[in-house]
Amino acid sequence: MLHAENLIKRYGAVRALDGFTLDVAPGEIAGLVGHNGAGKSTFADVLAGLIRPDAGTVTTVARGEIGVAPQHLALYPSATAREHLRLFGTLAGLRRRALTAAADEVIADLMLGDFLDRRAGLLSGGQQRRVQAAIAMLHRPRLLVMDEPTAGADPQTRQSLLTALRRRAADGCAVLYTTHYLPELAELGASVAVADRGRIIARGTSSELLSGLPSEVRVLAGAGPAVSVRTTDPAAALVELLGAIGGPVHEIDVRRPSLDDLYESLTVSRGAQP
Amino acid sequence: MIDSLSRIAALARHNALLRLRDPGQFLSYLIMPMLGMLALKPLYLRAVPGGTTQVATGLLVMFSALALHIVGAATLTERGWHTWDRLRATRATVPELLLGKAIPVYVVLLLQQAVLTAFGVLAVGVRPTGAWWLLGVAIAAWGVTLLAIGSALAAVVRSHGELHAICDIGALVVTTIGGALVPVTLFPHWLRAVAPFSPGYWALRMLQAAVHGDVPRTLTAATLLLAVAAAAGTFACRRMTRGWGRATLL
Repeated sequence: MLHAENLIKRYGAVRALDGFTLDVAPGEIAGLVGHNGAGKSTFADVLAGLIRPDAGTVTTVARGEIGVAPQHLALYPSATAREHLRLFGTLAGLRRRALTAAADEVIADLMLGDFLDRRAGLLSGGQQRRVQAAIAMLHRPRLLVMDEPTAGADPQTRQSLLTALRRRAADGCAVLYTTHYLPELAELGASVAVADRGRIIARGTSSELLSGLPSEVRVLAGAGPAVSVRTTDPAAALVELLGAIGGPVHEIDVRRPSLDDLYESLTVSRGAQP
Repeated sequence: MIDSLSRIAALARHNALLRLRDPGQFLSYLIMPMLGMLALKPLYLRAVPGGTTQVATGLLVMFSALALHIVGAATLTERGWHTWDRLRATRATVPELLLGKAIPVYVVLLLQQAVLTAFGVLAVGVRPTGAWWLLGVAIAAWGVTLLAIGSALAAVVRSHGELHAICDIGALVVTTIGGALVPVTLFPHWLRAVAPFSPGYWALRMLQAAVHGDVPRTLTAATLLLAVAAAAGTFACRRMTRGWGRATLL
């Protein structure tokens, strides 16, 4: 569905993409994470056809089969949500009944019904995000590029977006999802690609990437301070700790590594600036 | 082909809608020259031969040039709203996007000139001796020129403030040098030599020739203006195809 290999894009002396390689399969939601300037949005722009890489290859679906929700809100303040859907649906090649059916679907999925005929300039940030996502999903694209679609969104918007994305992926759509909110990727059941300085430095499922990271085992016993250890074998560490304490225990806490830990360990080990 | 026409029609309809919802500037560029024509007519009648035609065509050219701002803003706002890139990410090609944008703005320019011409005839007393189609050609050619120059300006300015300043100062200078306020024959010698370098000069010459039914003079000026339009339009298309890059003050 999407195969990008060794992409390079320079802006003057800055290499926004520096050997960027990524594959996304049909039905896969691929979470692309990384610090600001890691190359996520540049890659999304390449896929949207907005910029050309200086080198490397991208193999993907036809241009009209890609749906893009850019990072910036890109709406006409004086046009209503319905007018946006009509314009972008027509530009995507949808006509009359097909357009109505597709619009009804995204209106229901993203809960646009309450503000469909309100001008975009009068909508809240979360409502604008939903309209933006609806435009991207409207023509049932085979590849969806969602560039930080929940930035600044309220929980209701977030939830409706994630649900709609899972449904599209279940229908076979490949989704590239860039974000800074890593727990969203777990909710989406997404595979993870970590970008840093214009290239992918780690790629796999969450469990694959987290398997090598230590858990934190914390035990609170008696009146003293809690004892905690970081270990890749939390069960053995817990047995050892309890044996060493030997008395009553008030609290046991085992914290599994999260994607945030992975992200931090990868980028800090490479000396990245947050 | 049908798909392409359908996309252009959708874009034109959408842009017309945006224009209709923000008509203030267009109305001011209609009302101000009308008032100007009525107020200045007595002065022009005493000051220059053919004063009626001079005041009507002069103010028409000046205020249609000021409407460059409408053309430029129509394109520039797409940058500020980030919608241009969103449109570029669709199936629509850049020529389709530009046509869909240009058609409603061109209609606005034609409408402004047509209304001011009609006002000049009905309320100010201009008496065209030539064919109406010749006036139509003149209005159409000047409209294309303004459209192209306005689009080129929108492709280079960095903010609405810059666009406003360039359009206001540029339109006033270009049309004044072209003889919109004072006939070129009354200019000092050095300024008379400069006047033909202004598109406003050729616009005024073309419109006055059309009013008097002078076909060769009208068509010569129209051809020259269309050449300017072709150059400006080509520049605007090339620049917008690249999407302006990321640097912007908007």
